[in-house]
Amino acid sequence: MTTQNIIEISGVEKRFGTFTAVRDLNLTLKEGEFFSLLGPSGCGKTTALRMIAGFQDHDAGSIRIGGQDMAHIPANKRPTNMVFQSYAIFPHLNVGDNVAFGLRKLKLGKAETEERVAEALEMVELGGLQSRKATELSGGQRQRVALARALVMRPKVLLLDEPLSALDKNLREAMQFEMRRLQQKLGITFVMVTHDQYEAMTMSDRIGVMFKGQLKQVDKPEVLYARPCSQEVAAFIGGMNFLDAAVTGEADGKLHAEVQGFGLLSIDVNPNVARRGPQLLAGIRPEQLEISAQKPGGYDGYLQGTVSNAAFYGENVHYHVTAEGLPKPIAVSVPNYFHTVDHKQGDPVWLGVQNASVIDLGAREA
Amino acid sequence: MSTPASEPLNKPLSATVSKPRRKPFRFPWLLAYAVGYLIFLYLPVLLLPLFSFNDGTIVAFPMKGFTLKWYAQLGEQDTLLQAMVNSLIVGAVTALVATSLGLFAARAYVRYRFKGRELSEGLVMLPLVIPGIIVASSMLVLFISLGLKPSLTTVILGHVFVALPFAVSIMKSAFDDFDQSLEEAAFDLGESVIGTFRRVTLPIVAPGIVASLLVTFTVSFDEFVLAFFLSGNQPTLPVYIWSQIRFPAKLPNTLALGSLLLLASVLLLLTAEYFRRRSAKSA
Repeated sequence: MTTQNIIEISGVEKRFGTFTAVRDLNLTLKEGEFFSLLGPSGCGKTTALRMIAGFQDHDAGSIRIGGQDMAHIPANKRPTNMVFQSYAIFPHLNVGDNVAFGLRKLKLGKAETEERVAEALEMVELGGLQSRKATELSGGQRQRVALARALVMRPKVLLLDEPLSALDKNLREAMQFEMRRLQQKLGITFVMVTHDQYEAMTMSDRIGVMFKGQLKQVDKPEVLYARPCSQEVAAFIGGMNFLDAAVTGEADGKLHAEVQGFGLLSIDVNPNVARRGPQLLAGIRPEQLEISAQKPGGYDGYLQGTVSNAAFYGENVHYHVTAEGLPKPIAVSVPNYFHTVDHKQGDPVWLGVQNASVIDLGAREA
Repeated sequence: MSTPASEPLNKPLSATVSKPRRKPFRFPWLLAYAVGYLIFLYLPVLLLPLFSFNDGTIVAFPMKGFTLKWYAQLGEQDTLLQAMVNSLIVGAVTALVATSLGLFAARAYVRYRFKGRELSEGLVMLPLVIPGIIVASSMLVLFISLGLKPSLTTVILGHVFVALPFAVSIMKSAFDDFDQSLEEAAFDLGESVIGTFRRVTLPIVAPGIVASLLVTFTVSFDEFVLAFFLSGNQPTLPVYIWSQIRFPAKLPNTLALGSLLLLASVLLLLTAEYFRRRSAKSA
C-alpha cells in the first residue's frame, strides 16, 4: 500500500453571509483511506464535502487533490465523484445509461463503455440490470446504481453524502460491510459524511468529528472511542458517564484524582485533551462498569448505590444507578448472557471500575 | 367535563365507522343550482356547433335542416385563411418565446433565493389581473411612440406578455419536484453546464415544456382585445371573426369556424393537461 497523500486541506474556511459554516479546516487524507466526517446536522460536514467536490468555493485556505490545487477547478473537472444523499438517479434513463452517463464525455468506444458499465454493475452486484428502468429500482438498488455510476469514472476520491441514511436498518448494516469491502478491494479513497456514529465507526479507517464548523478530533475509531479529546466529542460517540474529579497529583503520565463517588483513582493522561483546568472531568463508558449485588473483587474504585431504572435492550441490559452526592445517575450496560435482568429497581448494588477504564477528558465545558 | 368518560371515546369512534358510507343526497336545491349553473355556462357554447349545421342564415329555432355547406365554404375564403395563418404564426411564436422565458424564470424562482425574487414573481403574474383593454391601449401607445407599427410582431409582443404567467406557473410546478442533486450529479460526472441542462434538466421537465407550449399557444390563439388593438391590417382569427359578425350572411360561416376552433382548443388543453400530469408524476 502506498501512503501518499491524496487530499490536503489547509486553513479552509467557508462563510454564508455572516455565518461561518466551516472554519480553519486542516485535514490530510492518505491514498486508499476510508475517512468519515462525523457530526450533528448543521456542523459543516456536508459543506466541507461539497467544497472537496467543487460544488462550493472556499473563502480561505487551500484544497489540494493528488497534489493539484483545486482553487479554480470546477466539480466537472475534479478527480472526484460523489454519491448523493438522494442518490440522484436520472429518472429518464435506465440503469445502464445512468451508469454510462459520465463515460460519454470520455469518448470511449461503444464496446469499452459497455464493458465498463457491466463491470461497475457487477461490482455492486447488479450485473445484467442495464435495461431496468430507474423508476423501478428499490432503495437499496438505487444506492448501488449511484455507487456504480460514480465508481465507473474511476475517481481518485469517492465522496459519499450520508449514503445510507435513506435505507432501512437491516439493509443499512449489510451495505456498511459491502461498501467497506468494495473500498478495500478498489483501494480508492472514500470520504463519507455521516451523522451516524456506528456507521462511521464500522466503516472508517479514521473519523473526523466536527462541531459548529470546526474539526475537533481526527482519529481511528477505537482511539476516538477510548481517548476522546473533549466532553462534546465523548458525548457524541457512544454512551458516557461524566464525573467531576479533583486532581491530587500527577506522576509517570498518570493523574491521581478523587473521582466523584468512586474515590481516589489513577487515570492515564489523555494526550488528545485540548482544554486543561483546575477541575478534571472523568469519563467512564457504561459497558466498562461492573455491577453486582455484592461488592465485587479486583477493582480500583467502587460505588455503592441503588438501581433507579433497569431496561432490557436485547443485546444488553441498561441500568441507572443513583448514589448519594451524585448529580446524575450512573449508566451501566451489561451484555445479555442469560436473558435475565439481574437487578430490579430499588435494589442496592455495587459498581466497580478499573483505573484503565477511566478517561481523562480535561476541563469540564461550560 | 361532567359527561361520562365513555362518551368522548364513543363519539369519534362512531364517526369513523360511518365515514366511508356516503350520505344520501339531501339537498335537491343544491343539485338544481349546480345543473342550472352548468347549463348557463355551456349552453351558449353548445349552441355554436348546433347552429353551424343549420341550413339557414338566421340563428333561431326552429332549425331548418342539416347542412355542411358552411364548413365547406370556409376553405374558399382567402381572408379567413390568411387570418388563420396569422393566428397560427402568432400562437406558435408566442408559445415558443413565453415558454422559453418561463422555463428560465421558473428555474430561477424555484432554485435560487435572490433579492427581489418575490417582487419579480408578482410582476410576472400581474397580466392575469390587469384588464386587457388597459394593457392593449397602453401597449398601442408605447409601440407607436417607439415607432413600431401595429403588425403581427406587436401582437406577438403583447401575447407573450399575457401568456408568460401561464408559462411561468406551469414550468414552476415542473421544477418544484425536481431534485437539484440530479443536475449536480450530471455536473459531477464531468458534464458541462450546458450539457447538464440538455441531458438532464430538459428531458426531465420536457412534459412541463409541452404543456406550457400548448397552453400558451391556446391563450394567444383565443386572445382578442390585444390583437384587435395591435394587429393593424394583419388580423388574427378572432379579430377577423369579430369583423364578420356585422354581416348576417356570414354568420353561419363564423359559427362553423367557431365550432372548429372550440374543438381544437379542447383537444389542445386536454393534451396539455395530460402532459402536465405526466410531468407531475415523473418528478
